[in-house]
Amino acid sequence: MDRRVFLTGLVCFAGVAPAEAGDETIRLRNFYNKDQSFSDYAVSMQGTRVAVSGFMAPPLKADSQFFVLTSRPMAVCPFCETSADWPDDILAVYTKRVFDVAPFNVPIVTHGTLELGTYKDPETGFVSRVRIVNAIYDRS
Amino acid sequence: MKRSLIAATALVAFSTASFAQDVAQKDSKWFTDALAKIQEMSIRQPITAKAKNVILFTADGNGVGTNYATRLFVGQQKGGLGEEYVLPYEQFPNLALVKTYNTNAQTPDSAPTASAMNTGVKSKFSTINVSENAVASDCSTLAGNELTTFAELMEKAGKSVGVISTARITHATPAAVYVNTVDRDWEDNTGIPEDCAQKDIADQLAEAMKSGRVDVAMGGGRRHFFPTDVTDEEGKGGKRTDGRNLIEELKGSGAQYAWDEESFKALTTGNNAPIIGLFESSHMKYEHDRTGEPSIAEMTEAAIKAMAGNENGYYLVVEAGRVDHANHDGNLHRTLTDGAAFAEAVALADQLTNDEDTLIIVTADHEHAIAFNGYCGRGSPITGLCYEIDDAGEKHLDTLNMADDGKPYTVAGFLNGPGAVLVKGEDEKFTAPEGRQTVTQEEATDPDYIQQAMIPLSSETHSGEDVAVYAKGPWAHLFDGTVEQNYIFHVMNHAVNAQ
Repeated sequence: MDRRVFLTGLVCFAGVAPAEAGDETIRLRNFYNKDQSFSDYAVSMQGTRVAVSGFMAPPLKADSQFFVLTSRPMAVCPFCETSADWPDDILAVYTKRVFDVAPFNVPIVTHGTLELGTYKDPETGFVSRVRIVNAIYDRS
Repeated sequence: MKRSLIAATALVAFSTASFAQDVAQKDSKWFTDALAKIQEMSIRQPITAKAKNVILFTADGNGVGTNYATRLFVGQQKGGLGEEYVLPYEQFPNLALVKTYNTNAQTPDSAPTASAMNTGVKSKFSTINVSENAVASDCSTLAGNELTTFAELMEKAGKSVGVISTARITHATPAAVYVNTVDRDWEDNTGIPEDCAQKDIADQLAEAMKSGRVDVAMGGGRRHFFPTDVTDEEGKGGKRTDGRNLIEELKGSGAQYAWDEESFKALTTGNNAPIIGLFESSHMKYEHDRTGEPSIAEMTEAAIKAMAGNENGYYLVVEAGRVDHANHDGNLHRTLTDGAAFAEAVALADQLTNDEDTLIIVTADHEHAIAFNGYCGRGSPITGLCYEIDDAGEKHLDTLNMADDGKPYTVAGFLNGPGAVLVKGEDEKFTAPEGRQTVTQEEATDPDYIQQAMIPLSSETHSGEDVAVYAKGPWAHLFDGTVEQNYIFHVMNHAVNAQ
């Protein structure tokens, strides 16, 4: 039944040739069916550049290249509180550069290459099902 | 009773007088509907038999304002304008307003509010079923301050006891059925100080089920019942560091265990085996997101059917725990979809029981900092933007009301929370250089939309505003006027002991 799998995932920065970013900004929920399986849309977009709207959960540390994108504002960071009640539809974002932290409740749009499949980050132990890599973000 | 008969006589007289009057509006549906209500009220008789069963429904955080929003939401989902809709429990004959403060808090917390309903006295913020002399989180103040719970009284009276929540079953409201604790957060052994003899909340539930004081418990919170080195059915780790697996202990003592929709459907009733259902590692899903686990209505039905075989009756507490959580998130859509699911559970329980022997109480533990704007035309979407009133018609115009900043605004908002229009800048100051965010109707009615708020807080707060209590069945008429929250216990206790 569950699904609330936590994200992360290092992943191959090298060798991923970003396709052209689409015009459409999508929601995290577009990646999932009701039963938490990947949607046809997610499968079809795997390996391509996507733009996803959401909110930046507070990162663990400054000068990071990783954050969690949530569909609704989450005031706690994923590593700081092990019992945090994370929703199912969160997205691991690996950024191209060290990024400026956005307040947890400011809407942003992230652009990056979509990766699907369970991955455990060897550094943090965080497990993700969906990631975008080589990412940048804008305030929406 | 005498007073209500006198009142009824007066109402009949008034009703008759109204019929006799030749008023211009006598054919209006508003007029005739109200006359029909007078007729209904004037012949209403209280039920004064002893209550065999008591069902206490609590939608956490569902104060009068939040409940108003749920009413409109469900009405609009059903195709109406919304304002005219009546929720199932709003049809109950008896109603009172409830003062929810704690002994040391103007703004209440769910722990002592649930405690008040289960013990008959108010207590301090963050504590459950201990007297107001106990100090929150101070283990040394537990001894001697433990209170007797309604569930204990019911067990002694030979009744079955059940507790259901869409939050963790170890969370404040459900815990008040079976626990005595100076700290609501001691859900497993990890939070308890080393020199403290108090048992954690999950342990107290397991003990209550093994001893026969609790017969049915269903909700979330599986992680508090097994050790950190064990992985559950969904791949999640436990929280306990004392090595105990309470789920295995309960199964070993003869309990039935369910963890998902399939195992929930496989539960059997009528064999007097206790039932423990733990459907999530933490809280169960919001109704909007629910998959693979039972609804609050389905759990309610299962609990009633499991306990209905007890000829002495039962006490069942059902909590819609996540109405509160979505309000804390400022996400009104999920507040209202969980509120709608709660209403369905109440309606189903009403269908499955008999008014003559079952007291059903529907209430909330506290309200939230929710507020409503005006002046919106009829049918303005309750989660969306406020439309102008049509001076010539009934339904709203298609033009939006605009604030002085030239932007539209939602019908509902919050005084504080994550939707605050002031956001933290790089200089750590909270500002809104471009003013409020402009929102479209499509954006505002999106299920993930966060209503705008005034004061920036990461989690929206409760408020001390009154909640309502609706009731039907034996002695439900004891609910009237404005009451203290601990009075709810006394109505239940009177109803089950009436001679």
